[in-house]
Amino acid sequence: MPTLLFEIGTEELPSWYVAQVETALPALMGQRLASAGIRHGALRSFATPRRLAVLVFDVGSRSAQREEVRRGPAASAAFDEGGTPTKAAIGFARASGVEPSALRVEETERGSYVFARREVGGEDVAELLPALLAGVVRDLPAPRKMRWGSHDLAFVRPLAWLVALLDDQVLPLSLTGLEAGRATRGHRFLHPHAVELQHALDYPDALAAADVVADRAVRREAVIDAACAAAAAAGLELQRDALLEAEVTDLVESPSAILGSFDAAFLDLPEAVLSTVMIHHQRFFPTRRDNGGLANAFVAISNNRVPDDSVVRAGYEQVLRGRLDDARFFWDADRRETLAQHAWALAGIAFHKELGSMADKVARVAKATRRLADLLGASKEEAATLKQALPLFRADLATQMVYELPELEGTMGCAFARAEGLPESVAVALEDGVLPRGPGAGLPTTRVGALLSVADRLDTVVGFFAIGRRPSGSADPFGVRRASLGALRTLTSQGWRVPLKKVVEAVAGSFTAPLAEAEVVAAVEAYLWDRVAGLLADEDLPAMVVRAAVQGSRSVIGAARRAHLLQALLSLPGFADLLTLHKRAANLAKQADAALNVRPGLFRDPVEAPLHDALPQARRGVERLMASARKQLAPWDLGRGPNATLTDLDAAVAEVVRLKAPLDAFFEGVLVMVDDAEVRANRLALLAEVAEALSDLGALSQLEAVAER
Amino acid sequence: MRFQDVTMALDRFWAERGCVIAPPHDTEVGAGTFYPTTFLRALGPEPWRVAGIAPSRRPADGRYGDNPYRFQYYYQYQVVLKPSPANIQETYLASLYPLGIDPGAHDLRFVEDNWESPTLGAWGLGWEVWMDGMEITQFTYFQQVGGIDCAPVSVELTYGLERLAMYLQGVEHAFDVEVAQGVRMGELRADFERQHCRYNFEHVDAELQRLLFERFEGETNRLLGLELVHPAYEFALRCSHAFNLLDARGVLSHTERQGYVQRVRRLTEACAAAYLMPRLSASASASEEA
Repeated sequence: MPTLLFEIGTEELPSWYVAQVETALPALMGQRLASAGIRHGALRSFATPRRLAVLVFDVGSRSAQREEVRRGPAASAAFDEGGTPTKAAIGFARASGVEPSALRVEETERGSYVFARREVGGEDVAELLPALLAGVVRDLPAPRKMRWGSHDLAFVRPLAWLVALLDDQVLPLSLTGLEAGRATRGHRFLHPHAVELQHALDYPDALAAADVVADRAVRREAVIDAACAAAAAAGLELQRDALLEAEVTDLVESPSAILGSFDAAFLDLPEAVLSTVMIHHQRFFPTRRDNGGLANAFVAISNNRVPDDSVVRAGYEQVLRGRLDDARFFWDADRRETLAQHAWALAGIAFHKELGSMADKVARVAKATRRLADLLGASKEEAATLKQALPLFRADLATQMVYELPELEGTMGCAFARAEGLPESVAVALEDGVLPRGPGAGLPTTRVGALLSVADRLDTVVGFFAIGRRPSGSADPFGVRRASLGALRTLTSQGWRVPLKKVVEAVAGSFTAPLAEAEVVAAVEAYLWDRVAGLLADEDLPAMVVRAAVQGSRSVIGAARRAHLLQALLSLPGFADLLTLHKRAANLAKQADAALNVRPGLFRDPVEAPLHDALPQARRGVERLMASARKQLAPWDLGRGPNATLTDLDAAVAEVVRLKAPLDAFFEGVLVMVDDAEVRANRLALLAEVAEALSDLGALSQLEAVAER
Repeated sequence: MRFQDVTMALDRFWAERGCVIAPPHDTEVGAGTFYPTTFLRALGPEPWRVAGIAPSRRPADGRYGDNPYRFQYYYQYQVVLKPSPANIQETYLASLYPLGIDPGAHDLRFVEDNWESPTLGAWGLGWEVWMDGMEITQFTYFQQVGGIDCAPVSVELTYGLERLAMYLQGVEHAFDVEVAQGVRMGELRADFERQHCRYNFEHVDAELQRLLFERFEGETNRLLGLELVHPAYEFALRCSHAFNLLDARGVLSHTERQGYVQRVRRLTEACAAAYLMPRLSASASASEEA
């Protein structure tokens, strides 16, 4: 069976896109082949800064015979009163490739429509492929595309060449004036000539011979191996960094490592400064000595193997020296003042015109943090740390170092605090409090840091809600969504079982009226619960389970634990059936008079007392289930899922499910809405107790739809 | 290689590839992109190729000459090609040979860099070109200019002349670059730089610049009403420079700053529209006749 090779040669792609397209290209290709009825085997993907390619094995030579079904206009619009096809129907038939007489009316859920059905398939795949491949180029997803020259096609960067081979046969395909052929290109500098491919299967070897490591996984290994070896040759250890490894992998086609060095005098700069300059600004790997300390050497991954690498090394070293000189200048200049002095300058940095300066914000955060500490609990030591840290929190924003290297915010606060000789716990809190730095990034590990982080982030959320700048759709110019997610993840990871509403109120209390109206608190709370639901959905929980948990909870950690508990319960025998009965009970119970208690003296039927007697055990079962969830599910990073699976629930579930038999018998045996008002009210009260007995598991009404289906 | 040999080599290289070697424009601009030969000519269907040295002013970037790389007055080498030709990357790499740089002997990269100019209503996608870790050129495919989609698309190459020359001469400060035999950059620019930095940061008369901005803004609009697009655009450039001086002087609050950016943008966008529209309707009626 033939093999298809499709290679899209491009001008240099952004590195993040290379990673993304490695899976996006084969996915789109597979989808298009399937909808064209083209059978195929495995797909193998290649992605470098200059090329995206896919090999499709075992491609069928003819498309599959299949029935193509198209839905046309509504039946009422397709034929006139005499049953003659209307213009609309004739147009639809023509577009579908059938005679108007072949149109058939079929019933659907939305009414009667005309359908065109025809046998398709059996086409020569080699003839189908050119248009299909052009469609793949056109529709390959990307967040932002560009145009170039005088062409209409948009792509991530300009196309440079195309290779389309079915075995040894070139497929005729032309885009933006480029004709697809059998010639690919080698490495830009190491193999600047065209590389003719005799056969699609030659692709991987031909590229390897032309100095291109086209397979991303292989290239990544090559980057890591070369970098580690270069460090090891100098008796050093490479500082591993997965993000940097991935980025560098997608900046080169042929990696080779060059070890360079810098003046050891720079080593008295904070390590974070040295690492940030090397990693973020130059994409160099820092190295370490045996004793774990940073060495005055780095490894750069070059995309070129040059005859004399001393020129390249000297270039790297000169650029790094310039940046480290700057960093040294800032470090020295910033330390001429203390953090407390820098904090004064926050008054000159705007947060938002309606929400004041950074000094105003930090003052609000300080108040909110104290209230949160009372609410959530802090030890005497933690309170002392807070007292010292609060006036210095985010003061590093006013330093030149953070102005130039904003990614070091917090890290520098910590470094300056240490340099001033402040207690270590205070230094750590100043960095911990600015975490997490983004989605998926590390959370505060200390309780003091977590308090600061939650207060700071929720101050942003409450503030922008208060001035009417809540996020809408995907637009979030003030980072409210990001701040919300950070606060919720931090809250959950600390396992704080405090109603979310109280947390929001504690933060809103720092704003002056009328900004902190109850309406704002309610809107923020609702917005935050929606984000909780989103994070739980990221843990692969069904939407209804998430809704049931969120609606039935007051604390975020409670919602998270309930969601996982409910998900576990739904897979256990008997629970779904119980839910159906519970729904009936809860629906009827809505008519109950909340002021009335059940009076056993009013039981008139033998099925009533057993149901009433079963309730204490059901309640105990619910309590045991909740206790198991608390015990087994230690606080986790919301969105990533707990570190344990719930087990040993059977005994407790059995206690709950035992309610099913008497409830069943009750509904079979009695009529609730009897004429006798006292008996009727008593039966409704009994059902209200049934509903209430399970209510701690969450808003179960959300789940019953699942059970019924 | 002396500084002026670098610019002459680039002039020759790009002249051979069909570029007009245009002399510097004589109104203050923040970058070569503001030149009418770039900003206005990037609009509309006509092919266009231009190159040349583009002195630029960014008052806030001055460091009194202390920083080896940052100046309030500096030189770019600006190339604009419309439509952007195929293999422009290879052509660019070839332009390094006359400067004595063999790309094969270095680690040269095209690293993603997306460009946006809020005051010009312009954005584009492209790269920074890194040579052994140092950024030597910016490479941009204009997607929008003056708020108008570019069709065809122009490509803009901006060489950082000072740092290229520093590299070629092995010196560590732009003022140490030899411009002509026996003449260093510092002799030409050090006093100029220090005095302008003192002016920009300490002595700009903010009231005067605010007033000038108002008057230049009004003048731009008045001239646009008379269909005098080129003079109008120069007054828009003067507004941009007045704003840059106010910004460097540190007298603008965040909100005020945003307001000025929007006002400059409205002017440049109006100039772009006024420049383009008559020519579009002309070419439309020409094609109807044909």
